[in-house]
Amino acid sequence: MNILLSMVKKDFKLIFRDKMTVFFTFIFPILFAAFFGSIFSGGSDNNQLSVAVADLDRTADSEAFVQRLIDSDELAVDVMEEPAARNAVRRGSKVAYILIPAGFGEKYGSLFTGGTPELTIGVDPSRQAESGILQGSLMKLGVERFENALSDNQQLSAQLDQSIAAIEQSDDMPEQWKSLLGDYLPQIKALTEQDAADNSTDNPDGATTGMAGAFTPLALNFEDVAIQRDGPQNGYAVTIPQAMYWAIMGVVMGFGVSLVQENTFGTMTRLVTAPITRTQILGGKSLGCFIALCMVSGALFLIANQVFSVPIDAPLKLVLAIASVGVGFVGIMMFLAAIGKTERGVSGLGWGVMMIFAMFGGAMIPLFVMPGWMKTVSHLSPVKWSILAFEGATWRNFSYSELILPCGIMLVLGITCFIIGSRTLKLEN
Amino acid sequence: MIRISDVSKSYGELLAVDRLSFAIQKGEIFGLLGPNGAGKSTAIAITCGLLVPDRGEVQVNGHRPVSKAAKRQIGLAPQSLAMYEDLTGLDNLHFFGSLYGLEKPLLEERIQWVLEFSGLTDRAKDRVETYSGGMQRRLNLAISLLHDPEYLLLDEPTVGVDPQSRNKLFDCVLALKARGKTIIYTTHYMEEAQRLCDRVGIIDHGRLLALGTVDELIGEHGGDGEISVTTAEQTIVKTTGRPIADMKALLDAHDDIRDLKLIRPSLESVFLNLTGRQLRD
Repeated sequence: MNILLSMVKKDFKLIFRDKMTVFFTFIFPILFAAFFGSIFSGGSDNNQLSVAVADLDRTADSEAFVQRLIDSDELAVDVMEEPAARNAVRRGSKVAYILIPAGFGEKYGSLFTGGTPELTIGVDPSRQAESGILQGSLMKLGVERFENALSDNQQLSAQLDQSIAAIEQSDDMPEQWKSLLGDYLPQIKALTEQDAADNSTDNPDGATTGMAGAFTPLALNFEDVAIQRDGPQNGYAVTIPQAMYWAIMGVVMGFGVSLVQENTFGTMTRLVTAPITRTQILGGKSLGCFIALCMVSGALFLIANQVFSVPIDAPLKLVLAIASVGVGFVGIMMFLAAIGKTERGVSGLGWGVMMIFAMFGGAMIPLFVMPGWMKTVSHLSPVKWSILAFEGATWRNFSYSELILPCGIMLVLGITCFIIGSRTLKLEN
Repeated sequence: MIRISDVSKSYGELLAVDRLSFAIQKGEIFGLLGPNGAGKSTAIAITCGLLVPDRGEVQVNGHRPVSKAAKRQIGLAPQSLAMYEDLTGLDNLHFFGSLYGLEKPLLEERIQWVLEFSGLTDRAKDRVETYSGGMQRRLNLAISLLHDPEYLLLDEPTVGVDPQSRNKLFDCVLALKARGKTIIYTTHYMEEAQRLCDRVGIIDHGRLLALGTVDELIGEHGGDGEISVTTAEQTIVKTTGRPIADMKALLDAHDDIRDLKLIRPSLESVFLNLTGRQLRD
């Protein structure tokens, strides 16, 4: 163990004497998080929003509405049960959920009866920018149905005339319905005309108000997901895990290059001829990398907590996430060192691979602005799982069982890469 | 004793070491000479367990070189400087010393000794990258001495150093011999081997061409010596296998001799006679 610690101590001294590594490991991630954190606190995008829809009404009208949602250009819809929909947003796989409550179809399908159809919306708190977009998209759907009939009193009056005439001419409508609507619709028409007259007095320009307000296309009841689930208090909670990757990348590249540099410097010769095992040599380097990853991650979360007010309510979960991410990237470091073989090889291969991981994993471009195919590809990036582990351990409030997926993926990936890398790596040059 | 028995090693089609056999006795300085690419470094690498031979075996006091017991008895100063230039000399010594499991007081004692021995005490806390070439070579040697090994493998230890540092290294090597260390010294500087080595092996194309003391090798492979006699009128130069007899004859023949020289064949003559004068790249 003393030998391992000696190797760790030596590697730390080497890393801290390399100013570029220190900058990209400690300073750059903070700048990244601060910059993008401020941007994402008020940002927006024009891409399809990934939403979960739960139809609790299950009527023909509600299903028709769901179909309109699916057909919408602005939304990418997955229909699921209510708990799954809520969970999907909480876990970050969907931007928002739309709950269609019982009774929605009746209100939605009846132009002149019932109240305003209501929807319950829950938006991922880290994606407040999309909240407005989602609201606009839903209202647009509602308005499309009503806009011609209800957006203008004159058109509404004409619509009512047509409806009254149709009712009077109807042969198959029950008499009591005919009587009811025959009384009801003319009164609405009278009210509409009265409202139009009042408006023309109050508002010479003829802008419509009054009845149009009564016929709100959809009532959107937003559930504050953040309050219910202790979501992030600000955009930094989202950008810190993203920024963390840049620190991780700095450590991984630093240790990967330093491993092959042992050959360049000739120091591997001394290590191999010393009375220590290959396992101790690789273990020392890996332990150093792991400790560095944990230290960097811990330090950045501490700064996030103290400076950017990112809440850390479950420190043990965070420790678990940091440890599993650490194991994952130690394995990747070993794999890159084995494949790259030389400093230039490791550097070129490493940056290439790590940048692709970053691009597809959400460290460069947030997942929610990615097109669907990129989101699918992101599953292959360890960055996505490490970010999810960090988010799950902080503002997403994952349970331990929920943390198993991202943490487990990182552990399995790390162990697999370590085994392949350590067996492939040639110590003696 | 280090015993190398019928050792061969190939890199692909290149036969780097070809059935090499010799033994190194305790307390001697054994020089391994050869032109570039002769197989010296490969032989050293096999001896210290860095490489595993394709055939044959090496034993260090009866242990295989890859064993921990053998590794504790061998100190290697590689040809390429093997240290962390971004660290101080002291950091390097602490780190490499720790690999041998020395207890802290003993390690500190050994570090102080090797620093004094190599003349680096004053610069111990400076980064290695600020050292001169000679100082880096001395640190390279100092690191290999930390665990007080019985056998010291010095692979071209004077490459790229100035005459003062080279001289200091010679003193160090002789001082180590005086302390009972066994030293294997590879070089292609003949004067170093002639000055330092008790026995010399000359290797080329991976094969051992000759082995013996310097005098034995010169007598066997050095060729003729050269005598030069300068009289009032002329300088007579003669290459001869019987220099004493020929010198005596010239002295008898001339009574106005102003100067005379006897140039014996050197180790370089032996080396060139055995390995040829063709350039090696």
